[in-house]
Amino acid sequence: MRIDQTHRLWFIATMAGLVVAAAIYVPYSRTAPQAASGGTATGLIYGSLASVCMLFAGLLGARKQVPVWRIGRAQTWMRAHLWLGSVSFPLILFHSGFHFGVGLTRALMWLLVIVFVSGIVGAMLQHFMPRLTTERIPLETIYEQIGRVRSQLVAEAQTVIDEVSAALAGNVSQATAQQRAASASAGTMGGVTVASGLQVDEGASVQLQEFFRRQMQPYIAQRGSKGMQLADRNRSQSMFQQLRLLLPPNLHPAIEDLENICEEKRELDQQTYYHRILHGWLLVHIPASYALLLLGTVHAVMALRY
Amino acid sequence: MARRIRTTKNLAKRMDLQYFKQSHPLRRWRLWLSILVPTVAAGWFAVQRANSQKIYSSGPLSAAHSVLGRQCNVCHVTRLGLFRAKVSDDACSQCHNAPAHHADKVTFITSCGSCHIEHRGSPHLAKTDDSSCTQCHSNLLTRSGGPQFARVVRDFDKQHPEFAALRPGGRDPGQIKLNHYAHLRPHLAGPAGPVQMDCQDCHRVTAMDSGWPYSQPGSAPNPLPVADGMGDHLRHSRSRDHMLPILYVNQCAGCHVKDLQFDNRFDQAAPHDKPEVVQQFLVQKYSEYFASHPRALSEAGARERLLPGAITSQQATTPLMIPHNRQDWIDQQVMLADRLLFDKGCKLCHIMIQGRGALPTVAKSSIPRRWFLHAEFSHDAHGLLTCPACHDRTPESRETADILLPGISSCRNCHEDGGPRHDAASGRCSECHAYHDWTKEQPTKGTFTIPQLRATASP
Repeated sequence: MRIDQTHRLWFIATMAGLVVAAAIYVPYSRTAPQAASGGTATGLIYGSLASVCMLFAGLLGARKQVPVWRIGRAQTWMRAHLWLGSVSFPLILFHSGFHFGVGLTRALMWLLVIVFVSGIVGAMLQHFMPRLTTERIPLETIYEQIGRVRSQLVAEAQTVIDEVSAALAGNVSQATAQQRAASASAGTMGGVTVASGLQVDEGASVQLQEFFRRQMQPYIAQRGSKGMQLADRNRSQSMFQQLRLLLPPNLHPAIEDLENICEEKRELDQQTYYHRILHGWLLVHIPASYALLLLGTVHAVMALRY
Repeated sequence: MARRIRTTKNLAKRMDLQYFKQSHPLRRWRLWLSILVPTVAAGWFAVQRANSQKIYSSGPLSAAHSVLGRQCNVCHVTRLGLFRAKVSDDACSQCHNAPAHHADKVTFITSCGSCHIEHRGSPHLAKTDDSSCTQCHSNLLTRSGGPQFARVVRDFDKQHPEFAALRPGGRDPGQIKLNHYAHLRPHLAGPAGPVQMDCQDCHRVTAMDSGWPYSQPGSAPNPLPVADGMGDHLRHSRSRDHMLPILYVNQCAGCHVKDLQFDNRFDQAAPHDKPEVVQQFLVQKYSEYFASHPRALSEAGARERLLPGAITSQQATTPLMIPHNRQDWIDQQVMLADRLLFDKGCKLCHIMIQGRGALPTVAKSSIPRRWFLHAEFSHDAHGLLTCPACHDRTPESRETADILLPGISSCRNCHEDGGPRHDAASGRCSECHAYHDWTKEQPTKGTFTIPQLRATASP
């Protein structure tokens, strides 16, 4: 979610709350007989507020599980998650008096740091990664459908190859008797070995089939592009240029189609890479959040009970 | 041959409309990690909890209490199988006897834990925060109403009263006529020639191992070992903080023993003691002299005295009678020695009070042993400074009544509330003041065994 003008109210409210909390904390920390800590009344208030913020931020996960629930707009939930989650970190620091403690409290503080930092990283990534993806990947598709699209690209490429091969075979079969005689008489001309057009068509068809089987199909079919020559755009262009030299000009549009299919595969790989960056932080953020909520509950129960 | 055309319709046909129902590697990882990480966290907590209650600790223990790190129950007293986060004063008093100050006067006694913050590491346990003190002293209330001390003390920098001795009307109660200016002059006449005295020649925090530095061997009595009298047998004594008391035998005799010499027929000076003792000493000395000198009656009447200067008493102008027997001679000699000592030698430093009896009495010296009766000051800790750096009026002081204690402004040159963070010495209350009245400290008796403390056996 981009943080834009629509976040202004949330930003102002969060900053106002933070300023008030800080304004209370400064005299509290200077005058508290026991020093600022979670055990004081003020410290408990900070801890309770931070817990509420974190719980609400955590509810976003539940809200996403049931998207049909009409409990506020998804964007509102997201904004609340973003800003309440952000403000919970300084509130917890006020709660703990900026101490990490030992044992459970230290574990909680580190979990909070992990959740907070990964959340900030995620928010930053979401700020520019989608635009970057749109700019650099015109052929972007639904990420979860990439595997399916790949197999469709293989099928499309196979169709093109078959059509080109058929066209080349048609050239040979449809040759006139005069063409065949010319081809048969071809061999040397003035001491120079020459090949007939019919011989070229047969060789090109074999080479095209071979190129598809050994290079193109594995590249398109597999996830990623490790070790594939076609993954390099320059190398790919030179390979397809060689194919164009082999084939008669009327079949060059088909080669262009094959090149486009490879280009689309490259973009799918790029999209996969961007998607992992854009969503990979969630692999840290969400599990750490659950652990934080779990241990935080234990901490709260122990603190309130004793 | 048909060209490959990318239209929206073609692209839409590619999609499986049920794709969101299918599993996906990123989602699968997210799900499994969301289960695994909290499970590991819960497992870690369970293992830690099974080993000890340390998992609940809110911070590192101070060095003094770190031995208790495995046994939270020692302080967090177990009640019905559960330990309490709040430590009661009873738990502290198992090991510590620390009497509260003015317990009978203040309106409430604060708990140990409200000042001594544990689980914050070492620095915080003993060095209590000012707020511990100002919770009462910012508006001091006592059971009797008016406080004996300043009602409002909030900090050292701005709201702390001047030291009691330096408030208007204060004077040095000492009765010894000491002129600091005279003693610190250059080329002061010492027993072996001119000397330049230094403050530490007389004022020391440790006992002198040898005689006064300028005295000649054998010319003055040997120095006495001096106990500081501040209870160094107690754990909380600050025996190197205070100046040792000034004693004639240690600080004065090196030069002033000549002021107690009464007759050049004797090498020995009169004792530095009460007039009665001096009188007895003189009688004994002259009796011994008469016994060993049978022709004493025929000697010249009044021997030349060692001390110069006019004797102003009425007796000094009275013509001497010629003694006719032993007793007359002894009485006359003792009278002359008395006159010399009590009217001249003793008066150099002491105030002599002539009462109705034959002998004067010596006013009590009343040199204050400590000036800060409700605060601690460590001269040892301030050893890097010259003495006049703080006691700046001393070199020019000529009167005993001058109070040469440095004022609070002198302390504020270096000490600030902010303390070390602001490149200054700490100005916290606990730097000078102790809450506990250690004079009432009672010995404590241990109650734990090593296995109980170290959790190596069931208590």
